[in-house]
Amino acid sequence: MTATPTAQPAVPPDGPAAWLALTASERGASHVAAKTANQDAIAVERAGPAGLVAAVADGHGHWRHPRSARGSRLAVTVGCLAGRELADKLARELPQGPPGAATTASQIARLVREVAVPDIVRRWRDSVFADVRADPFTGEEQGRRHRGDDPTIAYGSTLLLGVATSNWLILAQIGDGDVVAVRADGSSVLPVPADPQLDGLVTTSLCGPDPGADFRIAVLDTARTPLLAVLLATDGYGNAQVADDWPGTFGKDLRPLVRAHEPGWLAGQLPGWAARCASSDGSADDTTIALLIPPAGLAVGAAAQPGGAGRVPGADLGSAKTTAAVVVRADTVPSAQVPAGQSPIEPVTVRRTVPMIPAEPGSVTAAHQEERGPEAGKPEAGAR
Amino acid sequence: MTETLMPGGGVARRPLHFIVMADCSGSMKGEKMQALNYALRSMLPHLVDWERDQLQAQLLIRILAFASVPSWFVPDPAPVAELSARWRNLEYVPMGRTNMGPAFRAVADALSPGQLERRALRPAILLITDGLPTDPPGGFEQGLAALLDCTAGRSALRLAVAIGRDASSEPLDRFRSQDVPVLVADGTDEIADRLVTASIAVSRMSEVGADRTWLAERLIRAGPSLPPDRAASSGPGGAGHLDDTIL
Repeated sequence: MTATPTAQPAVPPDGPAAWLALTASERGASHVAAKTANQDAIAVERAGPAGLVAAVADGHGHWRHPRSARGSRLAVTVGCLAGRELADKLARELPQGPPGAATTASQIARLVREVAVPDIVRRWRDSVFADVRADPFTGEEQGRRHRGDDPTIAYGSTLLLGVATSNWLILAQIGDGDVVAVRADGSSVLPVPADPQLDGLVTTSLCGPDPGADFRIAVLDTARTPLLAVLLATDGYGNAQVADDWPGTFGKDLRPLVRAHEPGWLAGQLPGWAARCASSDGSADDTTIALLIPPAGLAVGAAAQPGGAGRVPGADLGSAKTTAAVVVRADTVPSAQVPAGQSPIEPVTVRRTVPMIPAEPGSVTAAHQEERGPEAGKPEAGAR
Repeated sequence: MTETLMPGGGVARRPLHFIVMADCSGSMKGEKMQALNYALRSMLPHLVDWERDQLQAQLLIRILAFASVPSWFVPDPAPVAELSARWRNLEYVPMGRTNMGPAFRAVADALSPGQLERRALRPAILLITDGLPTDPPGGFEQGLAALLDCTAGRSALRLAVAIGRDASSEPLDRFRSQDVPVLVADGTDEIADRLVTASIAVSRMSEVGADRTWLAERLIRAGPSLPPDRAASSGPGGAGHLDDTIL
């Protein structure tokens, strides 16, 4: 993983026709007060010949999970690995383009369900056991663990995974958090099916008894779906939002921002969003967000700013205007948990992939989830 | 510092709903009612202080007065500071019975799906009574079942304060959260202490790392109370619990 500082240009040198990932992570105010680490983690990597994979994870805050910050780091690592492998496999084995798209979406969903998810679960468990062998639980950690707990419970974490290939956006999620897809017109859709087990009080988890079954999957045909952006966020973001229908408002607010500003400006905003949500004015919880912008979204932004960088006057249309510190925080990921030779994650990273096929205008979002039917996978924002 | 335009409609602290069920039956006449009002008034400043000092929650209080029938004394969720500033005393209901079933139903309605914010922390319910329920046959059970059938009611931190040892009954044991004891006020002079203890427990539960083991120990240490009839569970935290754990 590499990180690009906020000040670095967000628009890639080879043009706007590529996915872009803007990310930020902020330690929650309650965790600052309790002197606990940011238990969220995030990673973004290239995937396949024309893709990108983004992984966001939220280590459980309860003291039964004393190593959840490590668990979330392991989760995004194995998630990115599985995402890259999936993208490679799709590039090799599946036809490109719209013909038979619905069938292919089902095939992809099955591939995720039967291959990628089991791989993630197995690798995460293997990574946890390897970590415990290398660094056994301390006496204090043992004291926090419940009698009979599997070692993985100490590392409990959610995982939100987004894999963007040339024609598909593949989403897999276990546990709480939000995935919001924003169409070109600013309307929002929640592509990942809701999980009735998540009541806002407890969450499914990679350390659960049957994590493979708890993953929720959605596949979007991005060649036919003019998306403006996709948000992957830990629950610190959604829990800070006043409105229950915040995803709908998010899309409406985001559209003019994307239209009016260059990606570099957006990249500079994300740490402020995360900081605001993580503050004592918000959820006070760790907050991590990844904003994935497809070529179609970048094209919209480019059309609004032929001159390149800078803001369009009068375009301050976000519904929440605030002032927040935007600084690089080394403590977004505890340095002790960063593998040797790897730089700590910066709160903002800007990434791109090789150019992609532009989206067809006027197409319709098609979300598919195996065994649930297409409608189950695309509730309108605010419907939950 | 930089200006930030954040999409989504604005942020705020997560709501923590605290519902007080106050027994206003005829048996509360006189000194008990005075003591209960004093206790509630005494509890509020502690909660105001806590809300000011903590980082996670906005405390919203409702008060249900119950006797033969329940009646919302504070019907809409009120910020604790506002309630403290405009406090007015509860009054007992002459000849009023102690029908808890309809009161549980009223609380269940308030906590039913769609009534709380999606992001609300798990609520707390505090039941204060001086007597046994006087519901008609099946009334208590049906009301309690309605409360426990809704997710928020089931997951709520349910505390009970019994005024007098006779009030600490099997029905209260069925109402309270399994791993927290019934708090017993042997005399009217102890009611305030018990409510303050309960309020501290409620507030503590939204802090990082708290769980019901701590809560049970804290409540047992608080004074005369019935011990929990089973060991503290390993379940997720109580009211306002912020830090997630697994199913």
